[in-house]
Amino acid sequence: MAAADDAHLLERLLKGEQRAYKELVTTYQSAMRAVAYAIVGQRHADEVVQDAWLSVVRNLAKFEGRSSLKTWLLTITANAAKGRYKHNRREVLLDDLPSPHGTIGDDRFSPDDGHWAVAPYAWHQDTPEALLTEDELRKCLEHTILSLSQLQSAVLVLRERQGLELEEICNLLSLSLSNVRVLLHRARLKVFATVEHFEETGEC
Amino acid sequence: MLTCKEQVARSSDYLDGQLTFRERLMVRHHLMFCPNCRRFIRQMRLMQATLKRMPQEPVNGADALAERLAAERRKDIM
Repeated sequence: MAAADDAHLLERLLKGEQRAYKELVTTYQSAMRAVAYAIVGQRHADEVVQDAWLSVVRNLAKFEGRSSLKTWLLTITANAAKGRYKHNRREVLLDDLPSPHGTIGDDRFSPDDGHWAVAPYAWHQDTPEALLTEDELRKCLEHTILSLSQLQSAVLVLRERQGLELEEICNLLSLSLSNVRVLLHRARLKVFATVEHFEETGEC
Repeated sequence: MLTCKEQVARSSDYLDGQLTFRERLMVRHHLMFCPNCRRFIRQMRLMQATLKRMPQEPVNGADALAERLAAERRKDIM
């Protein structure tokens, strides 16, 4: 959302206009939930988002527009999550769980020269719209995203679905850039393997 | 020249603009000569675009929450 839209929405929010809050919630809650999920996990994500919303309303008058509204909301969410659950997740940071359709792993390449041993299968569709008309594939993708570790799925969702910059993700989740890059790459290869499997076999 | 395996290992960084100038040239050079890797990168981009367009789950209870938040705000300005 552009700065001018932010300013206009903010004005209505400050007046306490219910429709403006509805707009805010439907636009940003998914992204906020993804941030909360990354930090506190499935069980507590919803509570954290609720806390964050109250904190947003209480601090609304202090929002100065130095960042976008989205960045501000996500920062409040990350702080709410970190403040409430100070558990140590460092040791599970780069957890790599098996995915339903595997990944693009070493076995796809020749051990001798590093070229493709099993070349990437050519997908039948070449637009996202065409791919998404397959209801089965959509479910299959959701399933793969759910199979990822907490941080892999959160980083993937924040980057690909919410369009955040890598640097923003690092700041929100207190992760190093190299960790975010590793998490994102592993997640993408698994999702790639899922689409490839579906295109090749027609089933999930 | 990079191998295909090395190209794939750098693919996310390539797509996110995280490679150094030199590494970027190496990837481009590899892609120029390798149709399989070109297909891989093209399909990675398609996968990204697909994730972006996947329908989001509707927010449950958005009306009730909006009502509560608006009321909370009006309490502050009264």
